[in-house]
Amino acid sequence: MKEKPCVLRVENMTKRYGQKVVLQDATLSVDEGELKVLIGPSGGGKSTFLQCINFLVTPDKGRVWLDGKEILPNHKRDLYAYRQCVGMIFQDFNLFDHLTALENVRIGLTRVRGMEKEESKEKATVELDRVGLADHLHKYPAQLSGGQKQRVSIARALAMDPKVILLDEPTSALDPELITEVLAVIRNLRARGMTMVMSTHQIGFAREMADEIIFLEDGLILETGTSDKIFSCPKCERTKEFCSKIVELYGNSR
Amino acid sequence: MNELFFIQHEVMPALLRGMIISVELIIPSAICGLCIGVVMGVLRVFGGPVLSRIADTYVMIFRGFPLVVQLFIWYFGLPHIGIYLSPFVASVVGFSLCSGAYHSEYIRGALLSIKRGQLLAAQSLGFTKTKMLISIIIPQAFRRALPGCGNEIIYLIKYSSLAYMITCIELTGQGKIIASETFKYTEIFFVVGLVYLALTTVASWLLLRVENRLRLPGFDHYSM
Repeated sequence: MKEKPCVLRVENMTKRYGQKVVLQDATLSVDEGELKVLIGPSGGGKSTFLQCINFLVTPDKGRVWLDGKEILPNHKRDLYAYRQCVGMIFQDFNLFDHLTALENVRIGLTRVRGMEKEESKEKATVELDRVGLADHLHKYPAQLSGGQKQRVSIARALAMDPKVILLDEPTSALDPELITEVLAVIRNLRARGMTMVMSTHQIGFAREMADEIIFLEDGLILETGTSDKIFSCPKCERTKEFCSKIVELYGNSR
Repeated sequence: MNELFFIQHEVMPALLRGMIISVELIIPSAICGLCIGVVMGVLRVFGGPVLSRIADTYVMIFRGFPLVVQLFIWYFGLPHIGIYLSPFVASVVGFSLCSGAYHSEYIRGALLSIKRGQLLAAQSLGFTKTKMLISIIIPQAFRRALPGCGNEIIYLIKYSSLAYMITCIELTGQGKIIASETFKYTEIFFVVGLVYLALTTVASWLLLRVENRLRLPGFDHYSM
């Protein structure tokens, strides 16, 4: 079987806030089309890890490669170009409140990529259509449901044609019915071969979809492995405990 | 009869001339003041260590010095270093800079109310800091600052009356001249006051229209 090329590689990412180490020597490598899932208790460093990857949070230590090219965050130009290639989905959506759904998706195309007005409008419409929001193009975030907002934010990230997407607990702010519609979009992305790193508490989804699961607690990666391995016979006692608790809480809901 | 003739041919034309000068002072001062306020407010929040400190100092000085003193410095002080401003220009400069300092405070408050997530989302799309401020942050902050900035503009209309202190004869100045010629202080200044009231009323109405125009779902007022 042919080896898939490595899209994103992160080495020894470390972040401290004062004395507290929130992330220590986290290393990750994602091949094309893979979905890696970060699990672990809240405050364990998942968000920090994801935000360090595209330097929204400046790590104290750590190196990042995209398509084999190292990213130096001090080179502003390279950093801005790199961020265009790395989509980010946030737990609380972070749509631009003063723009309609369509404008939210368009603004990166026109202001960052310098795309023509008409072209950007077409592309944004296509992306929104793909997440099932063709009827809501001209609504403002305040007029959309949580699930719709998250789908707009996915369309916004996809419009930039990213090489990899980072999803930071994309369903944690949603109620169960809305979770389903967002997970369906993510499942669809996976089927289209999008490379993704996602943190989540949706254990059922992780189990079904992930190529690899990474258990992160207190800033440390305690265990890494396929979902079968993590859920069936985890090496680490703490992983076992966490998984059984979360399954008990959420069931195996998808 | 004489009285009516006097009012028609002396008082009204003079007050009208004064009012026109006042409006000519207020409009550029309001616009420049608002622009200065936006720039200073943004610098104070996003300017980094050096620029934000410079902007803070500007605000400290221009909010701290009494406006009359500022006007005296622009008009009577600057000639000592070889800069001569006309009374009109000195007034507009003084008003704009003072107004800008106050506006910057409303803008700063509005900027601080923008959630960090908006910045993160813009950065994650590859926005540079400047583009993020122009396309994402300022349009939102401006909507939130508008009621406060409107208040400052109303206030500006009234403190424009200080221009007559540096011989720019606007509405209050004209009123004072006529009043001291006729000794009808009460009547004349009552009329002058009414003209200011009319100006602020029109300004409030215009500002409300702007607010309504810029209103978006999510930025609207909640009626109880």
